[in-house]
Amino acid sequence: MKLVNEEVTIPKQGRFQGVKKNFLRNWQLYVFLLPAILYFVILHYIPMYGVQIAFKNFFANQGIWGSPWIGFGHFERFFNSYYFWRLLKNTFILSGYQLLLFPLPIILALSLNELKNGAFKKWTQTLTYAPHFISVVVVVGMIVIFLDPTTGLVNRLIVAFGGEPIAFLTSPSWFRHVFTWSGVWQTLGWGSIIYLAALSGVNPELHEAAEVDGATRLQRIIHINIPSILPTIVVLFILNIGSFMTVGFEKVLLMQNDLNASTSDVIQTFVYQTGLLEGQYSFAAAIGLFDSAINITLLVVFNYVARKTSDNSLW
Amino acid sequence: MRSRFNLSDRAFGIVNTIFLIVVMILIVYPLVFVLSASISDPHAVSSGKMWLWPVDITFKGYERVFANDAIWRGYTNTIIYTVVGTAIHLFVLLPCAYALSRKELMAKKAILWFILFTMLFNGGLIPTYLIIKSLGMLDTMWAIVIPNVVGAWSILVARAFFQQSIPDQLVEASKIDGASDFYIFIRVVLPLSLPIIAVMALFHAVNLWNQYFNALIYLSDRDKYPLQLILREILVVNQMQLNDPGGGGAESLVDQVKTAGLIKYAVIIVSSLPLLLVYPFIQRFFVQGVLIGSIKE
Amino acid sequence: MRYKSTFYLLFTVLILFLTACGGKEDAEVGGSKEALENLNETGMPIVEEPIELEIFSGKAATTADDWNDVLLLNEYKEMTNVNITWNQVPADGLEEKRNLALASDDLPDAFYSAQLPVSDVQKYGAQGTFIPLNDLIDQYAPNIKKVLDENPEIKKAITFPDGNIYSIPTVYSPDFPSLLIGAKGWVNGEWLKELGMDNPETTEEFYEYLKAVKETDLNGNGENDEIPLSSVAEMSRIIHWISGAFGVQNKGSLHTLVDGDPGTGDIRFYPIDDQYKEMLKYLNKLYEEELIEQNIYSLEVDQHLANAADNKYGAVQFYNPIELYGEEVGSQFIPGNALEGPDGTKMYSGITSPVRSLGNFVITNVNENPEATLRWIDYFWSDEGSKMFFMGVEGVTYEETTDGPKLKEEITNHPDGLTLTQALAEYIINPGGNHPVVVTDDYFTGSENAPTDKEAVEILDPYLVDEIWPEFTYTAEENDQITILETDLDKYVSEMQAAFITGEEDFSEWDKYVETIEKMGLDEYMEIQQNAYDRYQEN
Repeated sequence: MKLVNEEVTIPKQGRFQGVKKNFLRNWQLYVFLLPAILYFVILHYIPMYGVQIAFKNFFANQGIWGSPWIGFGHFERFFNSYYFWRLLKNTFILSGYQLLLFPLPIILALSLNELKNGAFKKWTQTLTYAPHFISVVVVVGMIVIFLDPTTGLVNRLIVAFGGEPIAFLTSPSWFRHVFTWSGVWQTLGWGSIIYLAALSGVNPELHEAAEVDGATRLQRIIHINIPSILPTIVVLFILNIGSFMTVGFEKVLLMQNDLNASTSDVIQTFVYQTGLLEGQYSFAAAIGLFDSAINITLLVVFNYVARKTSDNSLW
Repeated sequence: MRSRFNLSDRAFGIVNTIFLIVVMILIVYPLVFVLSASISDPHAVSSGKMWLWPVDITFKGYERVFANDAIWRGYTNTIIYTVVGTAIHLFVLLPCAYALSRKELMAKKAILWFILFTMLFNGGLIPTYLIIKSLGMLDTMWAIVIPNVVGAWSILVARAFFQQSIPDQLVEASKIDGASDFYIFIRVVLPLSLPIIAVMALFHAVNLWNQYFNALIYLSDRDKYPLQLILREILVVNQMQLNDPGGGGAESLVDQVKTAGLIKYAVIIVSSLPLLLVYPFIQRFFVQGVLIGSIKE
Repeated sequence: MRYKSTFYLLFTVLILFLTACGGKEDAEVGGSKEALENLNETGMPIVEEPIELEIFSGKAATTADDWNDVLLLNEYKEMTNVNITWNQVPADGLEEKRNLALASDDLPDAFYSAQLPVSDVQKYGAQGTFIPLNDLIDQYAPNIKKVLDENPEIKKAITFPDGNIYSIPTVYSPDFPSLLIGAKGWVNGEWLKELGMDNPETTEEFYEYLKAVKETDLNGNGENDEIPLSSVAEMSRIIHWISGAFGVQNKGSLHTLVDGDPGTGDIRFYPIDDQYKEMLKYLNKLYEEELIEQNIYSLEVDQHLANAADNKYGAVQFYNPIELYGEEVGSQFIPGNALEGPDGTKMYSGITSPVRSLGNFVITNVNENPEATLRWIDYFWSDEGSKMFFMGVEGVTYEETTDGPKLKEEITNHPDGLTLTQALAEYIINPGGNHPVVVTDDYFTGSENAPTDKEAVEILDPYLVDEIWPEFTYTAEENDQITILETDLDKYVSEMQAAFITGEEDFSEWDKYVETIEKMGLDEYMEIQQNAYDRYQEN
């Protein structure tokens, strides 16, 4: 193992030599990468050849390569479809709504961070994380029970206070709220973990100094805590943007019915229905590709904006 | 002066505590409901008579759950898939994230991009299915544990942990002592990384425990079904089945629904319990474990 | 520079992989010489030396977990020498798995009860994935041939425009209307008596009855919790009961967009017809006045059953109430009438074609024993086979009596309190599921054979629609187009139907609705349907 400390600086023999040296010295680090790289190549990169079916008419017996090219036909069909604008609008609104509530876990984390370590803090954390462990099927089952127009607890409360029962599950205007807020219920606590972790890294001396200067707790939160977790916030926000078009179609599908379809119909459920259930794979692949394009564009744009305005960014 | 600040700080503390209590009640109530429902008379639950505490306590639901072979089999399978899948996850994730945290690694940014790109773009279900098939993983455990074995997010989090928590000097010192990267990783780095191991294991285990889509697509042997798929079979009466149950389907539909009504809540509790019991023990690692960094070096 | 090498590596792996996958040879249709030598053309066993088949099958929730543990199939294996590996797929996930198997060319020897839609049978038939069965039926399937010869309309319905038959359908015997109708309308007879009303004969009387139910505490629990009309699976079942009175859906319930124009007799797109609009208005009135269960679009079966158990329902459209709600509540219900509409039309249109679903048994091109496979299913189309399929084995599950075969007491009244379905699961793979056989009332054990159901049929019988269309079959080209058009139209019509009924959309928007449908390619769609209909009539 002499090799390691033989040379510390890369000599000027040219780049290739440097690369070779580095590799020989640190080859074990590259071996560390191997399982992950293999996984990504085999299960992610190789299947990417499949995107070509978006431009083809896929016939199963001719395979992906053998099916005939048709160009942009599937895209045209999608853009001209009656549902195109509705799908796009619903997807954007639903995703945007969820993004709007992005600060909630941050608020919870800031709030939890103000508690002294003790039983109350521990219990609050433990209990708020709990819904994360429940599967989507079960959560939707619970939504149906709680929001039932006649027997559901929420409506019985509304009626008890003299209101009219609300058909939450079949109302297009309520769908977005129910979907998003039940998501908040499930992920709020869990989502705050990462910010709590970042907050634990804040230097206590900063707080002590601020206290001496007479800053209130609220001021200290605003001027010390938030700025110190800002990099975490920005990175997570940009990662979220990167999956903007992905709204959790399993849950949407479980909550969807003919009555709320005008707001609950999103691109992903449409892809699932036409692709996997109706077997129009090429059409579904074209829509999927469209989705990816939007995701990538948004990611690049937001990262650029973040870098320019705050100096914090994903790359 | 000081006392005024203290007053406002105390007011803040009180408001903050009340806020958290409200949040906690909102989050906990539905869970209590399900727990109570699981030991109440199903009829009292579906007609809305039970709203907080159990009504007409009965343990029939649990008896039925424990008597159901399919649920037990699913349970066993899920445990196996979760344990094996989590082990593979750590085996792939930790070395990779560690290597990416080392500054002597070349092309780091390119590799991170290579990984991040998979989050944004994929070839779709059919080619993935064909790969799984050609690897001979169809209808085996591997089809459940290998796809999604690791994602960009976990790599970024684990890498950030290594960057912040493993002092550079420590690694350098070991190298000067002549230790190889393998040795350093296993003997020096891993023992210091308990928090990230625990947290990443839990994160991945939760996903494996609750996922059903891969199983739905790749498994056909019912003996290999994980719990979530059995749960779906019991809980979700398929729309297609409802519209067209086939001749005499009415009876089978009713049979299914009656069983489901009885065991619905018990099955939810039984299926969520293992994770709910495990995570408080891991919770203390959360604060040290999850940090996320950017691709920037 | 450094990126490049990564991509080269990637590219190489890719090419290697793809070349490894390519080069699939075409399979011959029909069995090999050895297969034919092994085959007995008539009688049992079907083959001399045992053969193995892999069959993809849809599995109803209450049938046994492993069909190879079922008495019927074990006995049949002994009889035939055909060993089957069942790839049983539950209803949840059936479409996904079936489509993936087809898309990846990962084919079993046959698909059994997998509910292939007509368009897929056409598509994969034309591609050669499913083999044409015409000749095989003539030569090896005397029982199926007999049914097809005796019922030309069945043969017509399963023959594609290219003249080929690709699938063996599920057939509900034309002599078994109770099953063809399926779920029926039921009215609470006790409540009628209490209200001093007669069983409603017209839509107006029906409305009056529902209104009375809404306003009276008929279950006597001191609460105004009566729900006049309910069903499950959204509105479609209630519409089956009502639509005839408005003259729509007049060619049976298999077609959700087209029926016959009462004036011209031509095919018509009824969701834009005034009669349909009148029906929606009527349903809208019921819904707005809360005469229809308000959460019908999200109602789960268990909730429906819970409400029924609380005796809340005035009328329901569902399966046999005694079977569903139990003797105590269920026996209050009496069969509902076919209703007479505002313009005097009295018709019941909620009935399907005897060709209940077309794609329930197909043989793929990888099957080396297509003859034996067809013979395997053909036996169940004989009287003897049918009895075995639905009743099991004599002496074990049923006894011959003077009134025909009867299920044994320990099955109908199981000592451990199992329901009939549960008790039968060990012996046969029915009830439940769509099996590619003829279902007759002789051996059928489901609730459609219950006395109250038969009574209901007698009431409805005079008013049943006179002609029931099966699903139409299309040419390859038509198939491609209609899949696209129908996806959009179907979705829009059913969403707007719900919106009009619940009042989410006002009837002043009707013209806009019609316009939108026209924009969605209505003319093109109707042209294809017209062609298909013409072909159907000519055959």
